[in-house]
Amino acid sequence: MSVSVGTEPRLAAVAVWVSTAARLVLGAVFLIAGGLKAIDSQSSVTAVRAYRLLPSSLATIVGWGLPFAEIALGLLLLAGIATRVIAVASAVLLLIFIAAVASAAARGLSIDCGCFGGGGEVAPGQTAYGIEIVRDVGLLLLAVWLVWRPRSRFTLDRLSGARPETQESP
Amino acid sequence: MSNPKNLNARERTRLAAEQAAARKRDQRILISVVVAFVVLVVAGGIVFQAWRTSRAPSAAPPATVSASPVTITNGRPIPLGSADAPVTITLYEDFHCPHCADFEEQFGPTISQAQESGAARVELYPMAFIDEGSVTAANAMACAAEAGFGQAYYLGLFANHTLQWSDPQLIDLAAKVAGSPPSDAFKTCVMRRAHADWVTSMNAAADQNGVTQTPTMLINGKNVDLASLTPDSLKAMITNAAQK
Repeated sequence: MSVSVGTEPRLAAVAVWVSTAARLVLGAVFLIAGGLKAIDSQSSVTAVRAYRLLPSSLATIVGWGLPFAEIALGLLLLAGIATRVIAVASAVLLLIFIAAVASAAARGLSIDCGCFGGGGEVAPGQTAYGIEIVRDVGLLLLAVWLVWRPRSRFTLDRLSGARPETQESP
Repeated sequence: MSNPKNLNARERTRLAAEQAAARKRDQRILISVVVAFVVLVVAGGIVFQAWRTSRAPSAAPPATVSASPVTITNGRPIPLGSADAPVTITLYEDFHCPHCADFEEQFGPTISQAQESGAARVELYPMAFIDEGSVTAANAMACAAEAGFGQAYYLGLFANHTLQWSDPQLIDLAAKVAGSPPSDAFKTCVMRRAHADWVTSMNAAADQNGVTQTPTMLINGKNVDLASLTPDSLKAMITNAAQK
């Protein structure tokens, strides 16, 4: 097995545990956020619509489908399957979330991001764009870390017999 | 014994290359499986949610508030409950607004009770800004009030708020809440959007009255802060308003 980039094995060992934590946290957040939205699809559609970025029919499809995309990514992250690929997908998704919230803020909309269910219009002055973006950037950092260091503990990759798709030494 | 190093400089290169190729192939298979999994989950989710919004409405909670047929007038809300009630509760709601459904779940029973006891009557402004279903539901609500089962229909609409409100669903709901197949007049009213102008006038009236969000509730014309409201405090407010 190709062991990691670094010259210091101790650092690599720490990185594996950091990756494990990043994978579990990101996976759990996605699973919870997706689950809450999937339960209340009406709110989910309303939340997507409130961004006023998509035409009505597309907003409905996204409102229905997006929570399940999050659930799928969350499950795969928790299982530790194809971590690097899933981390890339997660990072892309989080970038889209950040861009959407930023655009809502820039356009002066008064909405809740609907990140964990709920969402839609809120009273002006009740927005929390700053916190929402900081949270998403934090999650984005976890995803980027996993793209860089996908190898972690407690994954199904090894169980399934597939070789862990880990970093090749550069 | 021959020296294995000797034997295999070339052999080992070949083996390594083979292993690398195998690893690549495994990876490609794994990625395909993962992509297929995500696509399947998302597609399944969309189909599931579509089913949830297009199924038939379930039975609604019974409405014990007797209702006589009302006349629908542009710009005027739907009255629900006794005209002599001392307290007027004004409600601005969109039948597809999730917060309205939450509001209805939390406070609906208290309001219904006040209507039943004759303490309060509701003036309903059904707004329609969320989607097409908001419009069809608001129109059908007016049809139902006109036909004399407005209160029951109102409860039924919120009890089934996740439905998209196609014409068949709206007609089906009328059958469920009224306990008998709805009249042809009702069906025509729903299908022809007979009260489309009235629905538009509701949005305009809300604008005019400075209502910027749903749900909005006023008791005897005074705005109620919903953030701190509990069913008990609502009950107290209605009692207080009745004594003034």
